Amino acid sequence: MSCQDYEIALSDYVDGTLDERSRIVVEAHLASCERCRAVVADFSLIRQAALSLEPALPPAHVWTKLSTAFEAEQRSPLHGWSFSWQQSLAASLVAITLVASLAWIGKGLAPVNGSSARLASAATNEPTSVKAEFDLAEAQYTSAIEGLESITTREQAALDMETADVLKANLTVIDGAITESRAALQTEPDNPAAQDSLFDALRSKLELLQDVVALINEMRKGNPEGAARIVSGLNQ
Amino acid sequence: MTRAIPGQPPATTPPSKPTEDVRAVDLELAQRCRHGDAAAFEELYRAHAGRLYNLVFRMVGSAQEADDLLQDVFLNAYRKLGSFRGESSLGTWLYRLAVNQCLDVLRGRQSKMARVTDSLDDEGATEPAAISPVVPTAVSRLDLDRAIARLPPGCRSAFILHDVEGFEHNEVAKLLGVSEGTSKSQVHKARMKLRVMLSGIGQ
Repeated sequence: MSCQDYEIALSDYVDGTLDERSRIVVEAHLASCERCRAVVADFSLIRQAALSLEPALPPAHVWTKLSTAFEAEQRSPLHGWSFSWQQSLAASLVAITLVASLAWIGKGLAPVNGSSARLASAATNEPTSVKAEFDLAEAQYTSAIEGLESITTREQAALDMETADVLKANLTVIDGAITESRAALQTEPDNPAAQDSLFDALRSKLELLQDVVALINEMRKGNPEGAARIVSGLNQ
Repeated sequence: MTRAIPGQPPATTPPSKPTEDVRAVDLELAQRCRHGDAAAFEELYRAHAGRLYNLVFRMVGSAQEADDLLQDVFLNAYRKLGSFRGESSLGTWLYRLAVNQCLDVLRGRQSKMARVTDSLDDEGATEPAAISPVVPTAVSRLDLDRAIARLPPGCRSAFILHDVEGFEHNEVAKLLGVSEGTSKSQVHKARMKLRVMLSGIGQ
């Protein structure tokens, strides 16, 4: 056996994870190979130094900035993750405003007036029952999603193939969840778990599409860092 | 060989089996954070920022980037807390989230670099044909941190998780989404490269 055959075993030997038989074989090789003995000695030093590296501590300003960002996040109704679907009704009104503003992402793009109008119209209708309230909330989400979908469909060419694939895969998963939740609601229209599940899925889709529109916006602005950050979020 | 980290459960704690007490405490803290409780969010930060910063700092190799990335990790965690079900401890859940964000950053860098060179992992890989040890017996923290920062992304993450953070190869494999064999070969590759760099040959 040549030294190359022992390569990984030398690392395992330093880590002390070899079984007895393998350890004896490696030690027999080391007894006759100066080069591998040198590698083992160096690996041991590196491992020891790595294990004793002092912990790096976050500077105080990180928390200061983070707490400010957290407060800003609180003020954004789009980031209230524990909202019930009833609370989401209010959040979606704000969401559609954002949709309309994000929709303007460059030349040749018009705001999604249709969606906004439908939403505005829906929002003025006072819900008369829980069922009506639920239907209204669903309609608003659907309307917001349609608006964003029309933008992403139109502008999809701006996305690279890998991002488009990630987007497609994520949308497929979310659409599957929406379909399942709607099927469950067909059977049990008043099931709160199914209602929550549907709104969770709709909210996920809305947020994903908002990220994509924001990504297209960053790309159009020629801001690769901003785009990379959003893509990083899409990959989570 | 797994090292216990002060204030944290040891890395060998099975991530999928937190005790009932830990689970209840974590779920309660997560719930409070989700409801916008600023004190709870600070508690979450104080409990986990140290360990996460250590990871993030060594992964990205620069204090400024680490500062920004740590903030992103916590904000992202806040947004995703709804998906925390207590199957693992909150610390493990956050750690995974941080690893994934670090990998995203490193992958982003790698794709940029790939435009310049197709052989990133071979960068500076001249192996010493030494027959005696080449690494100085007293490796300074600064030298080692600098050398780690120069490692290619793949082997850097495996090395940090295994040799610095003290995870076993099976745990590194799970965190990185690779096989145990890949984790072993990446750590070995990292050690070989560090050997070159610390000997001065790769400077």
